Amino acid sequence: MKKLTQSRQMLVVGKSLGRVDSLDKVLGKPIYTMDIVPENALYLKVVRSTVAHALLKRVDLSDARKYPGVVAVVTAQDIPGINESTALLPDKPLFATDRVRFAGEPIAAIASYDASIAEEAVDLVKIDYEPLPSVFSPLEALKPDAPQIHEKGNVAKHLKVRKGNVEEGFKQADLILEGTYKTPFQEPVPLEPEAGFVIPEPDGSVTCVGSIQSPYHVQRGIAKILSLRSEQVRVIQAATGGAFGPKSDEIPVDVLGMAALVAVRTRKPAALAYTREESMIGHTKRHPFVISTKVGVKKSGKLTAWETKMVADTGAYASLGPLVVIRACFHATGPYVIPNVKTDAYCVYTNNTMAGSFRGFGGPQAHFAAESHMDEIAKKLDMDPLDLRLMNMLRPGTLTATSQMVDEGCGLEECIKKATAESDWYRKRRQFQSMTGTKKRGLGIAIMYHGNSLGPEGNDFATVHMQIDSDCKIRVRTALTEYGTGAPSGLLQIAAETMHLPFDYFTLDPSDTEYCGDSGPTVASRTITIGGRATQMVAGKLDQKLREIAAEMLECSADEVESREGIFHSKLAHSVSLRDVVARAYSRGISLKESGTWTAPKCDYDPETSQGTVYLQYTYAAVTAEVEVDTETGRVQVLKMVAAYDIGKAINPISVEGQIEGGTIQGLGYALMEEMIHKNGVVVNPNLGDYYVPTSLDIPEIKTIIVEYPGRLGPFGAKAIGEPPVVLPAPAIVNAIDNAIGVRMDEIPATPDRLLTKLRRTQEAHEKR
Amino acid sequence: MFVPENAADLLQYLDSHQTGVHLIANGTDLINRIQRKQVNPKTLVDLTGLSEFRYVKREGGMIKIGALTTISDLVASPIIDSRYDVFREVAMKFGGPSIINMATIGGNICSASSSEDLLPVLLVLDADVQVRSIHGERTIRVEDFVKGKRMTDLKSNELLVETSFSELESCSACSFEKVGMRNSLIIAFVNCAVFLRLAENKLCDEVRIAFNRVNGKIPQRARQTEKIMKGTMLNEQTLANAVATLRNELKLTSDFRASEEYRLEVACAIFKRAVGRCADRLAGEKVLV
Amino acid sequence: MSKHLLKFSVNGKDYAVVVQSHERLLDVLRDKLGLKGTKEGCSTGDCGICGVLMDGKLVNSCLIFAIQARNKKIVTIEGIGSAEKPHPIQRAFMKWNASQCGYCIPAMILATKELLEKNPDPTTEDIKIATRGIICRCTGYLKIFEAVKTAASEMRGAE
Repeated sequence: MKKLTQSRQMLVVGKSLGRVDSLDKVLGKPIYTMDIVPENALYLKVVRSTVAHALLKRVDLSDARKYPGVVAVVTAQDIPGINESTALLPDKPLFATDRVRFAGEPIAAIASYDASIAEEAVDLVKIDYEPLPSVFSPLEALKPDAPQIHEKGNVAKHLKVRKGNVEEGFKQADLILEGTYKTPFQEPVPLEPEAGFVIPEPDGSVTCVGSIQSPYHVQRGIAKILSLRSEQVRVIQAATGGAFGPKSDEIPVDVLGMAALVAVRTRKPAALAYTREESMIGHTKRHPFVISTKVGVKKSGKLTAWETKMVADTGAYASLGPLVVIRACFHATGPYVIPNVKTDAYCVYTNNTMAGSFRGFGGPQAHFAAESHMDEIAKKLDMDPLDLRLMNMLRPGTLTATSQMVDEGCGLEECIKKATAESDWYRKRRQFQSMTGTKKRGLGIAIMYHGNSLGPEGNDFATVHMQIDSDCKIRVRTALTEYGTGAPSGLLQIAAETMHLPFDYFTLDPSDTEYCGDSGPTVASRTITIGGRATQMVAGKLDQKLREIAAEMLECSADEVESREGIFHSKLAHSVSLRDVVARAYSRGISLKESGTWTAPKCDYDPETSQGTVYLQYTYAAVTAEVEVDTETGRVQVLKMVAAYDIGKAINPISVEGQIEGGTIQGLGYALMEEMIHKNGVVVNPNLGDYYVPTSLDIPEIKTIIVEYPGRLGPFGAKAIGEPPVVLPAPAIVNAIDNAIGVRMDEIPATPDRLLTKLRRTQEAHEKR
Repeated sequence: MFVPENAADLLQYLDSHQTGVHLIANGTDLINRIQRKQVNPKTLVDLTGLSEFRYVKREGGMIKIGALTTISDLVASPIIDSRYDVFREVAMKFGGPSIINMATIGGNICSASSSEDLLPVLLVLDADVQVRSIHGERTIRVEDFVKGKRMTDLKSNELLVETSFSELESCSACSFEKVGMRNSLIIAFVNCAVFLRLAENKLCDEVRIAFNRVNGKIPQRARQTEKIMKGTMLNEQTLANAVATLRNELKLTSDFRASEEYRLEVACAIFKRAVGRCADRLAGEKVLV
Repeated sequence: MSKHLLKFSVNGKDYAVVVQSHERLLDVLRDKLGLKGTKEGCSTGDCGICGVLMDGKLVNSCLIFAIQARNKKIVTIEGIGSAEKPHPIQRAFMKWNASQCGYCIPAMILATKELLEKNPDPTTEDIKIATRGIICRCTGYLKIFEAVKTAASEMRGAE
């Protein structure tokens, strides 16, 4: 089957087709959660803790309950099931009861038909806190005398990689270099803040509609809270205005859980829309990491040993922190061949707000450290950083840090060569050396690998349903959600290609647990890779069925039928149309529905040393950044970036470019301006005026280069592209800044203040010599 | 909310309701503060119906701008020609098109905060404001009108109706610089406006310098530095002297956005740039906004 | 809070609606007129996605009290094109896959409309300046710029 589709030119896959949801979006159709709230709904507002770590001595809701217009007030007491709303570990309640662990933690919710009344009632709630000792730094939290945030201590996860013997490796080195790198809380800023509503059904079940990534995760969470069977909880994803990770963790369960409690109690629909401030405080962000790196290298540039200690701040509750740390741990060395590796990664609780899923999921932090450090090594060896990378990079036949053999689907070298050729690497870096004036330019590079799909993070399966209606519309349904990635549209392209039918015959149905089986979370770029394989399988089955019906009509055997553009041909040049075949099926009562679940092989590795196959395939990339640094103000302008990605097979090239461009700008923000700042656990900038995301005036020219070395996992060899683009901009930009002004920004964001301060210190140090 | 359709009705109303009343032009600042629960006004008075205060005119050697003129109307006015590109410099760095389509000159002045980019420019233009009540009108310098953070000299029965300043002669120029975290934003780390008038012999006849903060929480003039520069020839040395004075004159603070040391250093850098832009404008060079 | 009768025109249609003094234009458009295309992203005027055209000029509807829109002509995304006949700007956005999650798109399209009315042949720099007040988190803006250029070209009648 695969050979057949590869031997002919592909008609749909590989084409830059428009997305199926574009028309509704450009028309501004009411398809998002808060556009479709039922008429008679109650609106909730959440009562939140104002201190980071305290016992709740008294929570007095009496004035709020009495406030005119308040219809319901819910707390943990009102939970029929289990007071839990988590992503992974059972460490987080839906409502705090006796203790709060972060500033902003939900304590109660108030409902009214008028949201502003609910909001006024929130101000009437009186809470007595007994502050507990708090800890806001993960390094502090690791100390034995640190305040314990959870019963089992402050370490939610410790993961190790052990390959070879680093002590021996350091002995073999001519140079040993250490460095410490720090990254911030990066806030995802999906443009649509979290929202959801719940309708109580007459039979005791509930229907939940929300801005979510993973319907089944929400279903399980709500069922647990309400003490219902999962079949009694229907979850429908409304159009979702951006997600990037948080909407796959506990937050949708928080939102819909609170709404569900009100709905079930009052028997009225209940809706909750977070304000931007609540969204920024309440949902998960990128884990800040402190990464200490020690690398041994020979004079020639060959790496001999790489030792890393990574400490991640997961905030008050772990969310998917343990998994983020796993990914960071496995990628800690960057995409290089190193015979001796020792990595220890810790996921640590503090009393800051929560960190969890955010596009990149540990990859950005790991590569920021690894790629910054590689440049430092190059400087010490007086080697061009590009040459150092070419010497040590992963190639087919070499082993990764987890001793996984790199297969032929590795386009890292081509990515590097194409990116540096396009950015005119050697010439520009020479040219920039001799620049005078207050504005200095630099060119930097960073390279990466990114394990695809869940790997060690969980069961990797996807379920897809297809059916053909009597009007020949082919409907595709899956619980893998669309929230801007365009991946579900890509599934339709895969289905169309598999069935040799035009793309516009296909339509995507909503992600609704009533009609779609569990497909796991929509994260980790699984939609195209795992969802794509499921789609191929199900489309293949449906195609086979159509052929059998056509064969009967054409009086030949099924494998003699050839299909093209909706016409089925027999060898004798007789033909029937899809319309004829579908009509036949309907008149004979032959079902044109197919479903299937595709499960990826399990990853097999040693849990103590992490040696083995940790991911089934890898995306590779090289990104360069050309910057201009204003040495009087510390401001950095990124002028141009070249982004070369080996993505196996671009199902939809323009969509792939869109993912690369969008992720690159998120990465640029991470490098230069984005930082959620906590003071004693309280977020001081929970708004878009003080938390800076890049605007149209901040973006560089971006040249994307698509490289295709098919992987073994995805359909047509496709690899993940949703997450990788956010990983490399930060180290590439920071390396470019170093090239421009000789300053190592080992902490991001490299804000103008930080940069200028470091530049002055470097200049003063030089003057002293 | 009280919604007057003409000034007379408004002034009458203000005279008889002197407490708990908030005037709003296009509410940009106030709605924000209501959202953040920083303020809970009892009565709002919507000024947007008073179209009589939307104008830009030239009269008696002065440029006169009605208080309800929006920033985008201002920069679109033919009277604000390239000599007054300083206003375009403000507009370009003032959030986005939607913000400048709404923000009014009067609203900016009355907000009296260091995040109002227009104030440093009006300070170096030595602008006046005209304030009117049912009892009459008075003129007061912007510098005296803005007394402290969110505090102006506006009495509770008064309305700010106009700001005015002397036309720029051919030997004077004005410019504005702003530095923040990114290229389009509202609140700067530091901003600077400079007015420069050169005499025949290229000596600094008059220099006026203002920053979003000098010594306190509102935009002010850096008068000590102005004094040092007055009467000198504009060159590297005199600029260096000016910067040395400025370093002592500016008493800035740190907050989560930026540190005091950084702000001071950048203030000095953009001061020099603003002076340079004025000099270039006077030399007839095309200076990009 | 007082009540007022707001008379204004939205997408060419006249309305007379009773509004509260503190009600924002955004709320009236969405909740009273049922025009859900205008979005709320931050409530503080920093993201621009609540943008609507008021007498042809882009404004943040989350920062305007509804009563301040009296006698004005408002255009929201619902006033641009239709499913049967999308506006050239909408067609260009679809062609370039410039809409990913779609949340900033209504404001981007209205900003484009205001830009092209003033400047039918904008450079990339002009487009950046015109869209600088609207945050897009998904696309990285580049495809939006291409879409605006394509729309401008088509609307000029050029090929």
